[in-house]
Amino acid sequence: MLRAAAMVERLGIPTASIIGSAFLKQGEVVSKGLGVPLAMGVYPGSPMLDGDEVLRAKVEESLAPGLLRGLTGAAPEEVPSEAEVAPGVIAFSGTLDEVEEHFHRKLWTDGLPIVPPTRERVDAFLAFTDRAPDEVLAVVPQEGREATIHSIAVNGVMAGCRPEYMPILVAVIEAMVDPQFRIQDCGSTPGWEPVVIVSGDIIKALDFNSGQGVMRVGRQANTSVGRFVRMYLRNICGYRIPPGAGDKGSIGQSFMVAMAEDEGTASEIGWTTYGQDRGFALGENVVTVHSVVVITSPMYSAGDRAVEHVQQWVDIMGQSFTYWAHTGFKTGVWNPLIIAGPTVAKIIASEWSKDEVRKYLYDRILVTAERATHYARMTSTPTFSLERLVKDGILPASYAESDDPQRLLNVIIDPSMIEILVAGDPGRNQSRAYMGNHIQGPPTSRRVALPSRWKELLAKRK
Amino acid sequence: MTSSPDEPRYDVLSPLSRKAVKTTAAAPRVPDLNGKTICELWDVIFRGETIYPLVREYIRKRFPDVRFVTYEEFGNFHGAREAQVSAEIPAKLRAHGADAVIVGIGA
Repeated sequence: MLRAAAMVERLGIPTASIIGSAFLKQGEVVSKGLGVPLAMGVYPGSPMLDGDEVLRAKVEESLAPGLLRGLTGAAPEEVPSEAEVAPGVIAFSGTLDEVEEHFHRKLWTDGLPIVPPTRERVDAFLAFTDRAPDEVLAVVPQEGREATIHSIAVNGVMAGCRPEYMPILVAVIEAMVDPQFRIQDCGSTPGWEPVVIVSGDIIKALDFNSGQGVMRVGRQANTSVGRFVRMYLRNICGYRIPPGAGDKGSIGQSFMVAMAEDEGTASEIGWTTYGQDRGFALGENVVTVHSVVVITSPMYSAGDRAVEHVQQWVDIMGQSFTYWAHTGFKTGVWNPLIIAGPTVAKIIASEWSKDEVRKYLYDRILVTAERATHYARMTSTPTFSLERLVKDGILPASYAESDDPQRLLNVIIDPSMIEILVAGDPGRNQSRAYMGNHIQGPPTSRRVALPSRWKELLAKRK
Repeated sequence: MTSSPDEPRYDVLSPLSRKAVKTTAAAPRVPDLNGKTICELWDVIFRGETIYPLVREYIRKRFPDVRFVTYEEFGNFHGAREAQVSAEIPAKLRAHGADAVIVGIGA
C-alpha cells in the first residue's frame, strides 16, 4: 500500500495512508526504504474486529483526523538513518562469544548462533562464482538494499553453508528478486515461507537429501540453504520479527529446509522430473523457489491402484487447502506442491501420467461458493464477490455460472497449477502437500551457474 | 560471558549491504481543501467500503467544498492486476485533477 503512496508523492501530490496501529513500525521501515516520508492516519487495532459503532468512533476520533493532518498540515519529514559500516569493511572484532552477542544485539541473526563471517570465509564462497562481488542483482524491499553477490556470500557463511553451495545461493536470490516472486510480500501477515527446490545433478554432487526425512533438519546442504533464505530475508530485506519491525507474519513458521527430488525414482517410474516440468532438461541444475503457507498432515495412502492413492490426496488436500482457496480466487493463482513418496509414486505412475493426476485432483477438490465467500469475508475482504472476479477476468467464467451459493467450485483454478515431485521415504506409504500463497511467491526457477573451475574447486573441498 | 586471553578473535564483516534509496521530499500539502479534489486508492480489503465513506463525511464537515473521486475509479492497486492498475494511476490522477490522495488500507 505504501508503495502506491510513495509513487503518488513522487508525482508531487500529497498523500495520507490508512494504516492499522499494529502496522506502524513496519510502515516506518517501508517508508524509509521507499525514500519518501509518508503521512499516515492510524486506525487503532484492526477494523476486522470492530462492530460498526466502534469502527465509526475510531474513524472519527483517530483515523480521519490523522488523514486530514497528513494532507493539510506540515509535510512529513525524513527520519535520519543510523550510520552503517560499508560492506567489505570489518564491522566488529571479538571472540566467538562476543561476535555472537554483537550479531544478536544488532538483530543480524535468526536467533541461532552464526558462523562468523570473516573475510577469509567470505572469500572462500566468492571463489565459487565467476560473478563480481559488487554485482547488484536488484535493489530489494523493504529497506531498499542492494542484493549483491557479496551479501549472498556473507549471509551464506553465517547460515552454515559450505563454500561450494554458493552457486545454489546465487540462483536462489536471482529467483527471489524476480519481480514475479514478489519479495516485497515476504513479510505479509499469513507468514508464508519460501522453500527452495533443488533439481539436477547437483543434488548428488552437493549431498542434498531427497530420501527419508527430506524436509527435516539434519543434512547440511538442505538445512543450511533453507536457513540462508531466512537469514537473507532478515538482513538484506529487513524482515525481522519484534524487536525488529519489517516482518508482519502474525504467527509465521520457521525456515524450510531445501527440498530435493529423488530424480532417479522419478525417471525410473516414467514420470518427468520436477525440473523437467519447470522447463529444464533432465539433470540440469536448477533451483525453484516456492512460497509455502499451508502444509497438509502426512498423507498416508494404501492399495495397489492409482485411484486409491490420489483419492486420498483429494480428501487430505481438500481438508487442508479449502479454507485458503479464496486468496487464490482473488488473484487467479495458486500452486499446490505435492511430494509424492517414492513407493506411492511408483504405484500411481504405473497407471497414470502426472497430467492425469492433476486432472483428477482438479476435478474433485471442491468448495461451495458460500464457504469460499464466507472464508474471504472472515479473513480480510467483506466485499468478496466471485461474480466481480469473473467480470474482471481473474477467474474463469465457470466460477460465476450460477448464483446458487451451494454450487461447487474447483479449489485449484487450473490443473496446470499443480506441481508434483518425488521424494521421501521409499519404505513408507506417505506423501505430503504444500500450498503456495497465491501470487506471493509463485514457483520461480533459475539455472544454477557453476564457476568455470567447478570440478577443480569441488575436488579440493573434498 | 568470560573469555580466556588466548581465545581466538574474529574480524567479521557486516551482513548488511548498501542502501540504494533515492530520497524524495514529501509533496507540498494543501492547507485548504475547499475547491480541491481528493482521490481515493483502495486495495479492496479491511472494510474500506465502510471506512472511506466515514472519512469523506468527516472531511466534508470541515471543508464543505471538497470533491472526492472514489476508489472505484482507480481499481484495486494491490493483487492480481497490480501492475496494470498502478501504471494507470498517474494518468487517472491527472485526468481527475487530483490535489491530494488517500491510500488504504494496511491493517
